[in-house]
Amino acid sequence: MAAAAVAAMATAADDEARLLRLEEQAGHGGGGAWEYLCLARKLRARRPDPVLRLGLALLNNSSARSRLASEQWTLYEQVAVAAMDCHRLDVAKDCIGVLSKQFPGSARIGRLEALLFEAKGEWADAERAYALILENNPFDQIVHKRKIAIAKAQGDMSLAVEYLNKYLELFMADHDAWRELAEIYVSLQMYKQAAFCYEELILAQPTIPLYHLAYAEVLYTMGGLENLQTARKYYASTIKLTGGKNTRALFGVCLCSAAISQLTKGRNKEEESSELQSLAAEALLNDYKQRAPSKEVLITNMLKNMKLS
Amino acid sequence: MGAECQYELAQAAYVKLALHALKHPAAAVNGLLVGRLLDGASSPVVVAVVDAVPLSHCPHHLPLLPTHELALNLVEDHFGAQGLTVVCYYHANALRDDADLPAVAKRVGDHIFRNFPRAAVLLLNNNKLEEAVKGKNREPVVQHPILSNSSKWISSTV
Repeated sequence: MAAAAVAAMATAADDEARLLRLEEQAGHGGGGAWEYLCLARKLRARRPDPVLRLGLALLNNSSARSRLASEQWTLYEQVAVAAMDCHRLDVAKDCIGVLSKQFPGSARIGRLEALLFEAKGEWADAERAYALILENNPFDQIVHKRKIAIAKAQGDMSLAVEYLNKYLELFMADHDAWRELAEIYVSLQMYKQAAFCYEELILAQPTIPLYHLAYAEVLYTMGGLENLQTARKYYASTIKLTGGKNTRALFGVCLCSAAISQLTKGRNKEEESSELQSLAAEALLNDYKQRAPSKEVLITNMLKNMKLS
Repeated sequence: MGAECQYELAQAAYVKLALHALKHPAAAVNGLLVGRLLDGASSPVVVAVVDAVPLSHCPHHLPLLPTHELALNLVEDHFGAQGLTVVCYYHANALRDDADLPAVAKRVGDHIFRNFPRAAVLLLNNNKLEEAVKGKNREPVVQHPILSNSSKWISSTV
């Protein structure tokens, strides 16, 4: 199971690399623009400038556009969203205009129009538009999420939390939403609640190292002996799930061990922990030797300080 | 502890922090500034800020302890060899009109203050940053709270 998680992370990294390569290539007129746009859509990557530039170039080129046939509408949608991200509201309005002529009365277009209100900062109009869509389809996930986004954009974090909690009651399996909630709790320094979110995520998807890492960090921030010991366990499980490649987890184990030994000074020290700490320290040193030899001295000093403290 | 304190921001440091904020327009960014106390006896006291170390642009890493601890330790060690120390912390908010200093920035500021009594926290003014990009406004883009005697971060003009 751990191997599958590592493999999945590897392909995700490959995709990201391919996305950047295509972006460079297409940006310099080397072709591959459509492939880039499809990949960006698949990965849901947020790269508004290149998408806008390349997408517009394709759309304005009528022969290229007719070659796309039915796919051109998805491209219009993608370009509209990118335009809103770049604050090119004129372009967005044009794209939405074209789409609404092609698909009159569509809820998907309605969402885009409401998004345009959001981009202009007209929150009341946007909320009204979303409420209308929800009347027809009360389980439209995307619209629910936009309502949360509006609350966040207005800086009303407690409202965003309230909406997000209501959303999660309906859509308990939406992992991205749990992550978003955890992040908002962390930004509000409500660490216990954030820890709860990460616990849900780990229960649902125990092989994703990201959740273990985030959970460990929240526990470390909360502090206290028990939390530190649990944090160290989760840093360790992150290391196992990533095959020892995650530098932050290695650092985390060292930090936890140092903090724990400071708290348990004078009490009976656990013997099993020292092996974990020395292994992590060694792995960290090796990592730096390979990837950043100039900084190795820093790490050696830091580890020395930790073992002493 | 005099209230007068001048900070000289080197161009490299200023440019790095502005570029860091511009590179991640949708997220909050933060980082450390390193420098040295130029002359403790003169009044106003002058602190020279020599370089900037961008820390992160992930909104969920900002208030978490382990990365900050590590960063402070490693940066201190690295620049300590050159006789520099961490003197400031800079922060840019994700929301454009948010001009408040978030709690985490105050905490990091307090931490730096324990080490360096002339610490300051710089909050980037997003509106000014946008104008600077458009070439309209040449004013510096930072707001500049300093530690007052009552341990609160108050704002002062740049």
